[in-house]
Amino acid sequence: MSFLSLLHIELLKLRRSKIGFILLAAAFFLWLPATFNVQIYFDRTELGIPPEQNFFIQGFLGLSWFMFPASMVICTVLLMQLERGERGLFKMLSLPVNAAKLCLAKFFILLALAVFMLLFSAAAYCASAALIGANRQYPFVLPLSYVLSRAGILLLAALPMLTFFWLLSVCIPSPLFSAGIGLFSIVPAVLAMNTKIWYLYPMCYPFYIMTAEYGRLADGISTWQVSPFPLLPVAILFSAACLTISCLRFGKSETN
Amino acid sequence: MALALEWRKIRRTGIWPAFIGGSLLAAAVPVINMAFRWENYVGQESSPLSVLLLANWPVMAMFNLFLVLAGACALYHLEYADGAIGHMRALPLWEGGLFFGKLSLIAFLCLPALAVEAAAVAFCSAHWFGHTDLLSLLQSFGFSFVMLLPSLLCSLLAAEIFKNIWTALGVGVICIFMAGMLPEKGLLFSLFPFSLPLRIWTQLSAESARCLLEAAAVESGLLAAAELLLLKIRRWFL
Repeated sequence: MSFLSLLHIELLKLRRSKIGFILLAAAFFLWLPATFNVQIYFDRTELGIPPEQNFFIQGFLGLSWFMFPASMVICTVLLMQLERGERGLFKMLSLPVNAAKLCLAKFFILLALAVFMLLFSAAAYCASAALIGANRQYPFVLPLSYVLSRAGILLLAALPMLTFFWLLSVCIPSPLFSAGIGLFSIVPAVLAMNTKIWYLYPMCYPFYIMTAEYGRLADGISTWQVSPFPLLPVAILFSAACLTISCLRFGKSETN
Repeated sequence: MALALEWRKIRRTGIWPAFIGGSLLAAAVPVINMAFRWENYVGQESSPLSVLLLANWPVMAMFNLFLVLAGACALYHLEYADGAIGHMRALPLWEGGLFFGKLSLIAFLCLPALAVEAAAVAFCSAHWFGHTDLLSLLQSFGFSFVMLLPSLLCSLLAAEIFKNIWTALGVGVICIFMAGMLPEKGLLFSLFPFSLPLRIWTQLSAESARCLLEAAAVESGLLAAAELLLLKIRRWFL
């Protein structure tokens, strides 16, 4: 079976999973508290950051710290549990398909869900910012190219983290442990990114990059620089290792 | 009876080791934080307990919330995964017993988890501040236990309503995120079940602590009533 038809089949499997609603709800609730408390962004101008920038970056900080990683953990649970019920994966593996290819196809679906999540968040941002702007007669919406480019950077920074979550869900059959370890690995990101060796903890990349962006916009937050070395080699090695192991281990807990 | 039944079900699922492991991770937070940055905390005017909790409780409470949510989802996934719930419904058992059995099981598992965290805080207090106020430590963690109950009931309700574990997890995660983002001020926001566990006992006046305890009790009662109502309503659709 070609990779494209595998991707198509995996997409079809998501039809009745309600994951779209969850991602939409996550994007909606991400901006809801900030939209109600928008006054604080107009009051807090001492950091030298305009309110519309502050509103955007605070939302994206929340997204990169918690909402996006946690939603992705849930997506990995979805992708694996969807097939563990009624031994679906077992049947899938008895067909003449390459297990590694199937694993990669599922990972690409995870990436697609990540893109959807970020697009939903960007759309929810535009809607809430437009609402505030109309309410206050103030040009509150940032250019779309800026919003989408930050979302793209966030996605790139999250790739190693996604491969790790995928590895967890492939290797650990119990959803309690795969989701639990995934969610638990998010929390120490705050501690890890304050150390000098933050690049060794891929779960903090998205939050680190967004905090660096916040520091670039506002005074006195952080002077963090994102330099390609040693970040890139570590990230590439980590992702490659996670993906290889998950392709090798895919379906092993089903078939024995 | 229901509790014993639930306990036997989880024997091979690793739920109670997960609770102990999770609480050990949460307990590591104050110890690691103090080990690396003790000079930021020692010598402050307020009591050691309040310094330690103020610095570490947000992260520890997050761990606790995740534990409760993952535990609730896992317990109901156990029923839904291979259609075990159908067998349970066929038995001459009250279906609410399933819910309240799971509730008391997780509440029971939270006790050792909170005890491990309390021991870590006591250790930090004794090691870096030289003394431990055991009475307020006990009061503080007892308070935290009561604060966890409404979020536990909410997670269990979500896990019962949504058969798919990812939907229940998603709802819980969104609620936990909202809890972190909502402002502490304002009556309506502070009563959100998932933001109650983030409250720190030493930061509250006796009056507001009593208010929160009462609120947690009322919310738990309401959520339990909602479960009973759900059982009644769902029977019409099954």
